[in-house]
Amino acid sequence: MALLAMATVAAVEPPETVRFITCPTYRDTDAGRKSGCWLADDRATGRRYDVSAAPSKPDWNHEILVEGKAADAPDRCGGIVLDPVRTSVLAGTCTRHMLPAEGYPGNRFSLPKRNVAPMAAARAVPPGPYSTRTFRLFFGFDSAFLMYQYDDYLLDRAITWIRAAKPRTIVVTGYAASGPEMVSGRAIAEDEDIARDRAERVTEALVRLGIDRGIISVRTDTRPRPVDDPDADGLADASRRRVDIEARF
Amino acid sequence: MLGATTLLLAGSIAARASHDGPDAPAGRWWAPGSNRTFPAQADYADSTGTLRVLLTGGPLATKGHPFFTPVGPNGRACVTCHQPADAMSLSAATATERWQTTGGKDPLFAAYDGSNCPTLPQADRASYSLLLGYGLFRIQRPWPPRAAKGGAVTPDFDIEVARDPWGCNSGKYGPGAGNISVYRRPRPLANMKYLRAIGFAYDPKQGLPLALDPETGKPVSGNLMADGRARTLDAQMRDAAATHLELLEQMTPADMARIVDFESRIYTAQQADRTGGAVDVAGAEGGPAKLANSQAGQLGSIGKPVWSEFEAWEKPAPGLGPAQAAFRASVARGAHVFRDKTFLITDSTGINAPIGFGNPVRNSCVFCHNMSQMGNDVAPGQVDLGTTNQPFADPMPWLPLFRITCRKAPHPFYGRVIYTSDPGYALTTGRCADVGKITLQSLRGLSARAPYFSNGVAKDLRAVVDFYDRRYTIGYTEQEKRDLVNLMSVL
Repeated sequence: MALLAMATVAAVEPPETVRFITCPTYRDTDAGRKSGCWLADDRATGRRYDVSAAPSKPDWNHEILVEGKAADAPDRCGGIVLDPVRTSVLAGTCTRHMLPAEGYPGNRFSLPKRNVAPMAAARAVPPGPYSTRTFRLFFGFDSAFLMYQYDDYLLDRAITWIRAAKPRTIVVTGYAASGPEMVSGRAIAEDEDIARDRAERVTEALVRLGIDRGIISVRTDTRPRPVDDPDADGLADASRRRVDIEARF
Repeated sequence: MLGATTLLLAGSIAARASHDGPDAPAGRWWAPGSNRTFPAQADYADSTGTLRVLLTGGPLATKGHPFFTPVGPNGRACVTCHQPADAMSLSAATATERWQTTGGKDPLFAAYDGSNCPTLPQADRASYSLLLGYGLFRIQRPWPPRAAKGGAVTPDFDIEVARDPWGCNSGKYGPGAGNISVYRRPRPLANMKYLRAIGFAYDPKQGLPLALDPETGKPVSGNLMADGRARTLDAQMRDAAATHLELLEQMTPADMARIVDFESRIYTAQQADRTGGAVDVAGAEGGPAKLANSQAGQLGSIGKPVWSEFEAWEKPAPGLGPAQAAFRASVARGAHVFRDKTFLITDSTGINAPIGFGNPVRNSCVFCHNMSQMGNDVAPGQVDLGTTNQPFADPMPWLPLFRITCRKAPHPFYGRVIYTSDPGYALTTGRCADVGKITLQSLRGLSARAPYFSNGVAKDLRAVVDFYDRRYTIGYTEQEKRDLVNLMSVL
């Protein structure tokens, strides 16, 4: 049964990039901790995707916004693998749905490539000379929450550099993708206030990491453009939901 | 029925006292101001064997020491509610014993928080039913909450009292007068090196770097107090002195430093089981000495696995009797069940949201209880297991019930309206999403300090396992339940 499903999926040429809203399905593959699969069906195409690689995973009670790229990866869950992929939990409610493993092995847990080292681990001091530089953190739709094993990693890298470079000022710019867009037949737009929420949250994070609040200025922008940043993983729409941390000298 | 239970508890206390180790100070009960010397090592009989209390750095003369001296008007000291024989907490059995010994005259039974409510008849034993039956003290929190640096917090939810069995959430004690009363167990003041350890700079539950101590500017672990209202031992002491000790003045910095020094040196853990014997023999590494000598803050999944102290017991040692061999094997299996038996964790804030693990997420006990040697959370903070929130919590008619209405976004799992017997962390943050979140419990010295959970609803370790089994539909086998209980009994 699983093999048949895999063959069917393989016969369909997936689009390179997808963006849609749907209700998630949890497949309870039990290959140890964090091994369950998250599946998302694009209602417009009828295709089922494996979105398990998202740094922030779905909640089976709520709709999700899926943004991802199809990967040339084996199907271990029963869907076309999206990686990179982001899933944002939306307010719309869903009927919980869980599938059994049905022969799929699921994904055995492995540490994501973006993970923060313990405090006891020494950070390499970034070499100078230092000049104006911008670091970016990326967010889920309408969320100001710093994603575990994604934003914390990016922030840790930024603060390591900032501590070494000692910039004169830091400009924190929060963005909100507030221009309405059509996704899965509906118009979605981020709340403009989320731009300030993101900026203030990142400012608080910098202060907690030892940066003098007095050198930080906060700005907002509610009409952001995508950025080409390696840590955005080529997901242009998701890259607009961000905070820029610009260190100036 | 209550009387029969009380007699049983009192009987067990007497039995335990007769089996205290030779190093136990005379008398299990440490009365404030008794001026005894706190030994470097003391063994106390408990419900399953022997608890050991270690004080690193040698014995301490307690005369005049602020932890042991009644500094406030009610005659209590810190030691009143943090008893060595109870792993530096206070069991319901000990509270009952004190009632019977003193006729309710012990300072433990202060009207302010030892009784269910100060407005009740204080000579009546029934007015202390929560302390005597569940080991609970009344915790009066301000409403609306106050920020750590002062100033009001604007909550994003309304709170109404749906049930008030003791009258302490009404009138001058109620939310209309700026107060909320909840009932909680005293957390053990021991093994603090682990509770204060910082493994990572980030608190993934809050999506921020660790909070800073407003006094020192240094990050703090977030593992203190059930509702996280105090982030440092100094702040905890000020809170406790003003409430439990009814001290009107501030404690002096010198006194607080002496208390922190004492609390930083004390380690408690089970040392021996009546059936299994000593927990640090045959290759096992249980007991408090290992705790005192190990580095705190290590994540078990990338270092020494949690409860691998009992790995050597996986292989039977020669010369053991069948009961002893079976117990040790059970403990070793229990460690594996704790680490490896995965289940679906659902609808628990602090785990399933907003952190991004997903809802549900498959994992085991060690997902949260992940610190080597101690089993507390390296990524500290508060989670909602459902011990206080309906529908997951038991009915608990003896506790107040609050109706929470979220004003802004609904709670991610409960919706707009939540019924809870203790809003927990939300009483500190004022956030609806934090209702029912409680700081993770310590897992050491458990056999000496029943009952369990912040509200004492689990009367024994089996009840703890059964709660989790119900809450997350784990499907533990009877053998797995026994193994987990045996494991926890020797921690």
